[in-house]
Amino acid sequence: MVKSTFVYATYIRTTPQKLWSALTDPEFMKQYWFGMHCESNFATGSSWKLVNDRGEVWDAGEIVEADPPQRLVIRWEHQMRPELKAEGASLCTMELVPAGQAVRLTITHSVEREGSKLVEAVSGGWPKILSNLKSLLETGAVAFEEPYRRKK
Amino acid sequence: MPRSTFIYVMYIRTTPERLWSALTEDAEFMQQYWFGVHCESAWKPGSPWQMLYADGRVIDSGAIVEADPPRRLVIRWRNQINPEFNAEGDSICTMELEPIDKAAKLSITHTIEREASKLIGATSFFWPQILCNLKSLVETGSVVLTEPFTAN
Repeated sequence: MVKSTFVYATYIRTTPQKLWSALTDPEFMKQYWFGMHCESNFATGSSWKLVNDRGEVWDAGEIVEADPPQRLVIRWEHQMRPELKAEGASLCTMELVPAGQAVRLTITHSVEREGSKLVEAVSGGWPKILSNLKSLLETGAVAFEEPYRRKK
Repeated sequence: MPRSTFIYVMYIRTTPERLWSALTEDAEFMQQYWFGVHCESAWKPGSPWQMLYADGRVIDSGAIVEADPPRRLVIRWRNQINPEFNAEGDSICTMELEPIDKAAKLSITHTIEREASKLIGATSFFWPQILCNLKSLVETGSVVLTEPFTAN
């Protein structure tokens, strides 16, 4: 089947348990996700939402698979921008694998259509979020707070 | 034209100038995050370029196609160690650096003019490890992986 897919791997000096918690704890998430957080029980079949600091729901869906601290699969449907919402459900898979003293986190985000605008949008977002997550877990501070501000 | 491309974007809490140096002339620094490997080049358009093990064996070689410090570096890059990769001929690796907020955005695009390239398959696996090591070394003073991660 024709698909658009974004794949990103990052290696973070932490444990799978801490990384799982960082990916599912709303307060921690706000620090590295530019104020956004998820609301879910993170159990298979639970509903799932990605919400901004004003309570607006950006994305909604459900947990397709949850196997802590190894694998999380989210059915992910965008809610804010009409052209992205029109694409329907995407699938986001997070895999955590121990790698030496670190953990490899692989994000695979795909939609069953060619040239997906949603996948294009998340391809820009994930590197920012995951760069911040890595910095926050390794140093206690994020890499940057203003994802769109260019320095003069 | 058919081609294989790997793209990776990362945000590092540093300046483009420092990042440029870590990616080019600071060979000792490179050996720390690149598992003992370093590059030799004058880093000017047309200069020859090599990537070497500490014992002097050449892994990859080519030339600098474009160098605009601290913004853009393009390397013509051919593997010299693995016969299958060598047979694929020249690849092009483009590194782009851009200041964003208090971080530097690093974009790596590594591409070759053939479908299902084995070279791009291998670099897709190792670039995230090298760049995660670089980010950790710059931000924390030590790398995240002391040896390449090979398990799948």
